[in-house]
Amino acid sequence: MSAGSAPIAGVGMISALGADAADTLWALRAGTCRLNPLTLFCPGNQAPLPVGEVFLSPAPPEAPPRTHRLALEAARQAMAGQVAPPDAVVMGTTTGGMAVTETLLMAGESHPTAFARHALATVAEDLARRFGCRGPVLTVSTACSSGAAAIRLGLEMIRRGLARRVLAGGVDALCRLTYCGFRSLQLLDPAGARPLDAGRRGMSLAEAAAVLLLDADSPPTAVAVRGGGLSCDAFHPVRPHPRGDGALAAMQTALADAGVDPAGVDYLNLHGTGTTDNDRAEALAVRRLFGPRLPALSSIKGAMGHSLAAAGAFEAATAALCVAHGLLPANAGLTQPDPELALRPLRAPSSARVDTVLSNSFGFGGNNATLVIGRGQGAALSAGCRSPLRIGGLAAVTGAGGTERTLDRLRRRISCRGRIGDAVLCAGLAPDRIRRLGRLARLALALAEALGRPGPGSAPDGIFFATGMGALSETWNFLDGLFASGERLASPTDFIGAVHNGPAGQLALHCGATGPNITVSGGAASLAQALMAADLFTAEGATALVVAADEYHAALTPRIDPALAADPLHPDGGAALWLHRRPAAGDPVVRLLALACAPDGVDSVRVLADRLSGGRRYDLILGASPQGAGPLARLARCLGHDGEVVDGGALVGGYGAAPAVVAVLAADLVRRRRPLLPVTRPCEAVLVVETGAHPWALEVVVG
Amino acid sequence: MEELIRTLAHKIVALLNLQEIPAAQIDPDEPLVGGRLGIDSIDVLEMVMMLERDYGLIIDNKTLGAEVFATLRALAGYIARNAPEAVQ
Repeated sequence: MSAGSAPIAGVGMISALGADAADTLWALRAGTCRLNPLTLFCPGNQAPLPVGEVFLSPAPPEAPPRTHRLALEAARQAMAGQVAPPDAVVMGTTTGGMAVTETLLMAGESHPTAFARHALATVAEDLARRFGCRGPVLTVSTACSSGAAAIRLGLEMIRRGLARRVLAGGVDALCRLTYCGFRSLQLLDPAGARPLDAGRRGMSLAEAAAVLLLDADSPPTAVAVRGGGLSCDAFHPVRPHPRGDGALAAMQTALADAGVDPAGVDYLNLHGTGTTDNDRAEALAVRRLFGPRLPALSSIKGAMGHSLAAAGAFEAATAALCVAHGLLPANAGLTQPDPELALRPLRAPSSARVDTVLSNSFGFGGNNATLVIGRGQGAALSAGCRSPLRIGGLAAVTGAGGTERTLDRLRRRISCRGRIGDAVLCAGLAPDRIRRLGRLARLALALAEALGRPGPGSAPDGIFFATGMGALSETWNFLDGLFASGERLASPTDFIGAVHNGPAGQLALHCGATGPNITVSGGAASLAQALMAADLFTAEGATALVVAADEYHAALTPRIDPALAADPLHPDGGAALWLHRRPAAGDPVVRLLALACAPDGVDSVRVLADRLSGGRRYDLILGASPQGAGPLARLARCLGHDGEVVDGGALVGGYGAAPAVVAVLAADLVRRRRPLLPVTRPCEAVLVVETGAHPWALEVVVG
Repeated sequence: MEELIRTLAHKIVALLNLQEIPAAQIDPDEPLVGGRLGIDSIDVLEMVMMLERDYGLIIDNKTLGAEVFATLRALAGYIARNAPEAVQ
């Protein structure tokens, strides 16, 4: 029984294989390999390795970074001929503006204007602006499964009625961080990627973008995203589970979600990076799932390389081409199949009727995503109302200290802005457990440790991590070390830590959580994105751990987040919420009421007020990030709010995760029915709002 | 050789942030990787970088790596043989 499909109304793709879907189809039909020596940059004057580089027309220095340009091109193709804007944009990326940031840092640039598109979220935000999206804009960063996870999110948004039309995809551009990082892990094959080959020595890095327009109102005959599965290995920061447990779980979940039996799969698009470990673990998982009756299968990464966050979306788009045009793509780069894998990869492209494709994407942090693409059965909404998400536990860490110290100050409206002390950051964590972890991952673990295990059952069913800017310490240390050595030496530990979803992978390891593991990013909207994802992927009776964290970094923060750097207290911090969908009297209910995009020149307070009109009355309105009294007061007037309005963000700080600390304050007030001191009235319903360019609101009410 | 072994022990403790293991307590002949020190494959790659940075030596295959990083003594021996000038 399928949970409902999302018809694909538009496909955009750009990679070394071709500038659009037609080019790509031609290249795949011809079985071409487009891996060539890197030309974009030349780290340490070492021989360039084969990569999948895209030719982009020369651009002036002030042009958006490559990642943004690739994403815009793919989105433009997906939206060709469309009049109505998308209701939502969901993009997976791991690099954002990194290629430009690297060049700027090498040149000694420090002016924040130059770094305006550093953040991952700016990719999706650019697309939302360009195509007039007024709804949720989500940025997913789950390493190499990002693009597939973004599409899985888009599918669920359509099923749950959050959107009718979702622009969903993935993008990454080549940059030094990933090229030198993967090289330091000795995961790049000097001869070019040879997935599943006996002589394989690693992957080839690539850049690409792929965007799908998912449209619930498309004709039911359209090729559709029919289902998907997300899982986490919870095994190792970078290595896959040796028996492919997580990969198997993702494929099984995807098939069940789509209502398809293994025997119904016509073509399996492998993650197939060409690394020894990935291909071995994936092959094992595939054999465990399909037994002796293997479907036609191949990896296309020998033809175009591994485009990281783009890969899952690109291969979903490829799967749609395979179904629409009856294509089985070849496993390019293969000369001698590895007998240990016991797979029979397609040696040459061929034509066949293809109704159903399973497409795998696995990434660092043990993040696995599998999609089912096939002939559609029309859109369908998931049936049934679910009980609300309740808050079963909470934790916060700020410059004031741990949960109790932070809440004690916030309840009395005393600032907890400041830099977290090292003792607080490592509280309860064994030194050997955190010896390789930087500030952000330590903060995430400190939050999980402070939260404990409030609910029954040992591990949360899903982990949802929100960060505005990611792991700045490792990012800086990696680039600083790289540049100091004339681009010759890169630290593998810093590279692994610099990945946005590193802390989420650590949380999964910490809790033993093998379900969905999603990292989202987007300034002050990060928490709202994580709550939306948690709401979409937490089944009745299930639990979710939502953690938000951001660190202050003396060198990077002033460049990429000048508003935060203007705060002389250099605050950082985070918060964690243990959520569940179980009947539990007394646990407050949390609901995300709105997550919108206010176009340039449009009053975001007005946008938010429109979404909230006709809602309930609240005892208190809390501003989630520092936004000043003006917008909050105007919003309160628009809503006819007669209670108090407090700029909670001003008490916490301007970092991306600050709204989570404010939400924890709201939850604490409601669960104890306490007033915010000095006494006004006990809080039974609190509205937490953000009035920036991506305004949102959540309510915490008595259960 | 003994001095190089001690130098390497201190370097490795600092590089890998082995807070709970005093450099002097690492036995030159105990297994560096996969033993009580908690050093794993990522740490080995970190040591590969250190070897290139501090001694100009490049380790780019697993067989050689397993040999070189077997013990502190093996590592010191490899450096002494291949980068004698750096040790001076």
